[in-house]
Amino acid sequence: MSPALSEFRQGLLDELPLQIGIIPFGLVYGILGIESGMSLVQTCLLSVILFGGASQIVFTQLITAATPAGVIIASVSAINLRHLLYGLSMATYLRHLPFGWRAVLAYLLTDEAYAMSVRRFRTAPGSDVMHYHLLGTGLLLFSVWQLSTIAGALLGTAVPEFLQLGFAVPLSFLAILAPVVRKRAEIAAALGAGITAIVLHDMAWNLWLICAALAGISAGMLTARINRNEAS
Amino acid sequence: MSIWLIMIVCGGLTFLSRFLPLTGLLPRKLPPWFEQAMGLVPIAVLTPIITHAIFITSAGGFSIADNHRLPAAFVALVTALVSRSVVLTLATGFATLWGLDYLI
Repeated sequence: MSPALSEFRQGLLDELPLQIGIIPFGLVYGILGIESGMSLVQTCLLSVILFGGASQIVFTQLITAATPAGVIIASVSAINLRHLLYGLSMATYLRHLPFGWRAVLAYLLTDEAYAMSVRRFRTAPGSDVMHYHLLGTGLLLFSVWQLSTIAGALLGTAVPEFLQLGFAVPLSFLAILAPVVRKRAEIAAALGAGITAIVLHDMAWNLWLICAALAGISAGMLTARINRNEAS
Repeated sequence: MSIWLIMIVCGGLTFLSRFLPLTGLLPRKLPPWFEQAMGLVPIAVLTPIITHAIFITSAGGFSIADNHRLPAAFVALVTALVSRSVVLTLATGFATLWGLDYLI
């Protein structure tokens, strides 16, 4: 097996266990997409156009209510801003690649692909086929995400309402967040944002989400600053 | 604005946030405060969606009494902390919600 192919294969293998969490998330998104009034084609294509689970679910939540386009775009893009950080930490390893490669790998750079590939990049000795690992993790995630989205969207309206499947949104976000909120600043951000969302829930144009996010970030940064001052 | 246009603009901005760091157009190091703020973004955006989905009814009111989503979310939170598993969190959360709906 060529070194590139074996690196690609390694990426697939590393990413495989994570799919257990991806499949239900994709199904939930697909179902919510249809429930929100998006068509089958729109629901499935959003998975291709955005390719970001949390932001796609937020999209379905905001598109149902009469939310102005600007608020939807700002909310969705804010969630995906974190990719800037992934890109920056990957840039050292990928910057030398041709434009096409960088564009494809950037498109495939999701939380889960980043998590597995950055580990490989850091531990593996600097080889010139390293990027095939990210191609492997990214493509596997992409395929599984698209298939589970389609399955969810097809299931869509067949799911009876009393099951309250929309509750899967807070549950899956809880599963993602609970294990990573550790530092005082992170706890402050979660409390600040969570409480603001309840207080401002009937704000016009669904602005509660953006206001809560800003409140959370401010609370977190303030707490970090106070902690630093106490430490020094 | 049509839904397609919103989808495409969101997709374009998301791709830019993934691609720009690989172009060399951004400085290699962003200001520390910016990195710190970015690190808090997922928490600051996802937590409001969680609390909103738990406490606000579909009619738009605040609800604590007889709100079965509250105990269900608590069970799910404990599961998430202990197991770190999306599947188990979904399973215990929904089991609690459906169980309470059935019993009460």
